[in-house]
Amino acid sequence: MAEMLEHAEQIAEELISETKRDFLKILTAMSGLVGLGALAWPLVSALGPDADSAAAGQMIVDVAGIPENSAIRVVWQGLPVYIRKLTKQQMADNQFVVPSALPDPADYTSRVKPGYESYVVVVGLNTGTPCELEGNAPSDPRGPFDGWLCPCDGSVYDPLGRVRGGPAPRNLAIPRFTFLNAAQIQFG
Amino acid sequence: MSENVKQSWSATRLPAFSQWWARSKAPTYAPDGPYLAALPALITGLLILLTLSGLVLAVYYNPSHPFASLQFIAWNVANGWLVRGFHATGTTILFGTIYLFLFRGIATRAYKAPGELAWFATVALYALLLLTAWLGQTLTGGGAAYWSLKNAAQAAGLLGGAPGAVATWFFGGPAGHGTLARLVVFHIALALLAFALLWLYRAAAKPAAPIATGAKPVAFFPYYIAQYFAAFAILALIFSVFLFFAPHFGENPLDLVAGSDLVVPTTITPPWYLVPLAAMSGLFTSPAGAIWVVVAALAVLFALPWLDRSGPRTRHGGWYRFFAVLLALDILGLSLAGAAGPSLITAILTILFTFWYFLHFLVLTPLVTALEAE
Repeated sequence: MAEMLEHAEQIAEELISETKRDFLKILTAMSGLVGLGALAWPLVSALGPDADSAAAGQMIVDVAGIPENSAIRVVWQGLPVYIRKLTKQQMADNQFVVPSALPDPADYTSRVKPGYESYVVVVGLNTGTPCELEGNAPSDPRGPFDGWLCPCDGSVYDPLGRVRGGPAPRNLAIPRFTFLNAAQIQFG
Repeated sequence: MSENVKQSWSATRLPAFSQWWARSKAPTYAPDGPYLAALPALITGLLILLTLSGLVLAVYYNPSHPFASLQFIAWNVANGWLVRGFHATGTTILFGTIYLFLFRGIATRAYKAPGELAWFATVALYALLLLTAWLGQTLTGGGAAYWSLKNAAQAAGLLGGAPGAVATWFFGGPAGHGTLARLVVFHIALALLAFALLWLYRAAAKPAAPIATGAKPVAFFPYYIAQYFAAFAILALIFSVFLFFAPHFGENPLDLVAGSDLVVPTTITPPWYLVPLAAMSGLFTSPAGAIWVVVAALAVLFALPWLDRSGPRTRHGGWYRFFAVLLALDILGLSLAGAAGPSLITAILTILFTFWYFLHFLVLTPLVTALEAE
């Protein structure tokens, strides 16, 4: 009998224990918050880019097959992107051009990735009148610097995409990309 | 000191919030409230979840390619399968709570004065959600959903008079290319209307709530908050079980393939929550008869405050309770007969269960309540 009474007293003491109650209160509120968070997370993450858009934004292009002295055209984010493999002659011709003598000064290293100096990746839109440039195939008209030529306003670019003449004010834009290895580049 | 100034700043400019907080801490509630009193709060929570997941689905949904866009959501959108699961399972659990809420209202006679308006709001909410859910199902463009919409729009064209004009306005003619685009808008608009009905229910249920007569009334916070939390936790468990183990519960398997003009299903079983009413309407071959039996089934539910003849003094009669449980079993039987598909035996059972449904409301309820009244 006395033991039972003692036990009941212990339970009563535990029930009114303030710290224990606070602990349970915090535990309950936190588990509720975790539940709400688990419910909200898929809704928020579903509004991010879907798998198709994400893949298109991070496009991978095989560049090993590009023959020397010609360029391929790929479309990335709605823009025509030209990837050109330079010849030894073109690299040598442009290596030592004095940047300050150009309309939009830029040296060789700022137009290519270190270690992959024979590849030029540019957006193939003239910076004056927005036309697509000619000169990807060796048989195309390329202008006096063996680069690209604008069929609309006659602006002239060298093989690195630097403007050399005509109404165009700036060099061709370079998209964001990295070399995954010697054969592949990834945009984005 | 600074905290006092801050409190008075917000309390002066937004008194509603501090008043609401003061009300929830005022001891005005009877201490023995049942757990099922949390059902309206659960229904509100589920409607909010359905609205949020529906908004995310609406971002990617394309009414010109309904089935393909849902496949895109399931496979290409981050956690899209889960968001769609939230929406589908949320609907199933919402109707589970609505049916339980209706049964509880009948069994406890919540419809009696001064609770009539709250009861009307409940039945109207049920009817509105049935229509919204049916629209949502047709938006999936599945095999059964496609033909369900096509048949409904065709039947709308056959109706004459004012109902026909309303139905034709609603569908905009026979089901075609633009139909799903307008049904998306109706689906969203009706879902928002459900919140208005919920507000009406809450406003009307407040004066009908039992007044704290005991020696020690309690406040909503923290006493009933704890109880609501437990109710929500149990609901979350049930929700998770359905979401992860039965994501297609009560769905027609035909809806798992795209609807086609060339593949005509022999029977179109609707989602489980529509089956009882669909079984009743299936007894009639004419569109007008099929619609009127559904209207009548909802009307007798709506008219319960008048069909109950026990007078203002409520006494929980044993026979009344017995018949309320029998009604629940009757509707379960109606669902099973409807889900089993057409055959001679299910046709007979459907007629019997439909007959019992109307007998319960139009004969048994007035009779039993009058006999059991003081």
